[in-house]
Amino acid sequence: MADNIIETFDLTKIYKLKGSKRTILALNKVNLGIKKGEIFGLLGPNGAGKTTMISILSTLLHPTSGYATIDGFNILKKNRQAKSRISLMLESSMLYYRITGYQNLKFFCKIYKVPNFQEKIRTMVNDFDLSKWLNQYVENYSSGMKMKLALFRTFLLDRDIVFMDEPTLGLDVKSVNFVANKIKAMNKTIFLTSHDMNVVEKLCDRIAFIDEGKIVKVGTKEDLKRLEQTEVKIKILIKNSFNKLKSELNQQNYVLNIVDMKDGFEISLKERAYYNDLLKILINYDILMVKEQELTIEDLFLKMF
Amino acid sequence: MNFSKAAKDNLSQILAITEKNFRLRLRVRISLFFSFVSPIIMIIMPLIIMGKFFEYNDNFGPWTEANFLIFPFLAYNIALLKSIIKVFPTNLRQEKYWQTLQCLIIAPFNRFNLLFGMFLSQVLIVSIPFFIFIIICYFIYPISFFTLFFVLFLFLLIALIFSGIGIIMGIFAISHEEMWAILSFLLTLVFWASCLTYPFDIYPDFLQFLIRLNPFYYMFDVVRLTWIENNILLTLQLYPFNFAIIFSCAIILPILGVIVFNYIYKKYGIVGY
Repeated sequence: MADNIIETFDLTKIYKLKGSKRTILALNKVNLGIKKGEIFGLLGPNGAGKTTMISILSTLLHPTSGYATIDGFNILKKNRQAKSRISLMLESSMLYYRITGYQNLKFFCKIYKVPNFQEKIRTMVNDFDLSKWLNQYVENYSSGMKMKLALFRTFLLDRDIVFMDEPTLGLDVKSVNFVANKIKAMNKTIFLTSHDMNVVEKLCDRIAFIDEGKIVKVGTKEDLKRLEQTEVKIKILIKNSFNKLKSELNQQNYVLNIVDMKDGFEISLKERAYYNDLLKILINYDILMVKEQELTIEDLFLKMF
Repeated sequence: MNFSKAAKDNLSQILAITEKNFRLRLRVRISLFFSFVSPIIMIIMPLIIMGKFFEYNDNFGPWTEANFLIFPFLAYNIALLKSIIKVFPTNLRQEKYWQTLQCLIIAPFNRFNLLFGMFLSQVLIVSIPFFIFIIICYFIYPISFFTLFFVLFLFLLIALIFSGIGIIMGIFAISHEEMWAILSFLLTLVFWASCLTYPFDIYPDFLQFLIRLNPFYYMFDVVRLTWIENNILLTLQLYPFNFAIIFSCAIILPILGVIVFNYIYKKYGIVGY
């Protein structure tokens, strides 16, 4: 898979538990390929191995066995070359709180050898809505502002690959939206983990589900939804004869579930094939709206874990 | 990449680390102030004992009533520089919990830049009390400017040696805390048996044997001897072994420190956050 910018080969990580002979298999022979320019989401319950995966790929942690390549460079053997292509953004924002925002940016730009960073900061600061705050201590920033500053740093470092672990954790809706839009505009290969399913849905081109260190499903959002969607959820709004329709639907064996809503119901059909049968019933009623509820990433997540 | 560009990049990284550490330390000035005062407490007892001793005796080894104040005052400066060893584990552990370390450690930069950056920042931080005590020593027991600069150079070498030890302590502090605790204890023993605050001749014979095995003793002693001899060539001739130790350690320990840092980081990674 030559076009993959990130690739893992039987990547395994075993943690030894202190004071006992027990071990935890955090990653179990993970094989993944992420294409250049792709936004890839890794989803899974807490403790599934997402952060371990990011830590290994960003060279912070060594795998127990297996290996990974970053832009063709083995992270174990060509560590320096691999590092020069990546940047990292964690939920903690990874900033020095006791110095100013500008001093933070200046420090990281120098460490990451960013040319003309002062000019770049000047031109980009307004895009991140930080011009009034850049000379203030980071300890005075709100969570949203800290994340904006971390994102600003990621833009300045300008690496081909960005690893993001929970970049929207604890942010309000407006800040989440801001961060999501900026990530989308980044135009980089992004490896993202998040528990915010809306962000994943909005941003990711492909998604992998991980559980107990094993990749259980991987694909595009559409593929995964298609594969997982066995039952069809339909929202029906009705003008009158509410109870009559409900009892008629209850008698149909292809209707799995009916949930009452204001002025209607949400029903679950056994299979899409029964759609016509349902419409034949609905045609006899004064129906205001029939809408198929699309399966969301959150539905997929709940279904899997 | 040509040499001058690489040198410029490295220097820029070193100065960035220096500036960042300097600013972070200056945010809590009271703690900084007390870190300067604490070593004074360490030299009070030796000052009292040696003062009393020279009321009844003319000399003790190379120490006389006229020059004995140099001994604890230079010890204060060494104790100030000793803070370089502590600053590596303290800062790296702090950065581990702030999670800034991850962003720093994945940056493609040479670990020597980390060493020199932290070395420079701490040397700058302690420079004011350091020079105050140097000036006091100068007034108590004046020496030629040439000797003074040579003594300052020796202090710089000691600071470099401490940086090498510091970076080793630092990596263990973030990767293997048990080993860090063991090393810290061993280091306390080594410093105790280095004649930092009391003259060699004051110790009993069996301890003198152990002290003779301690390279720190030779390093610290040569600084004081250079001062009181006030003749560099003579001191070089009289104590070549001391100079050999200080020069070789100043080269070996920073290199060894970086090698150990890279090895331990590769073996254990950052643990416990």
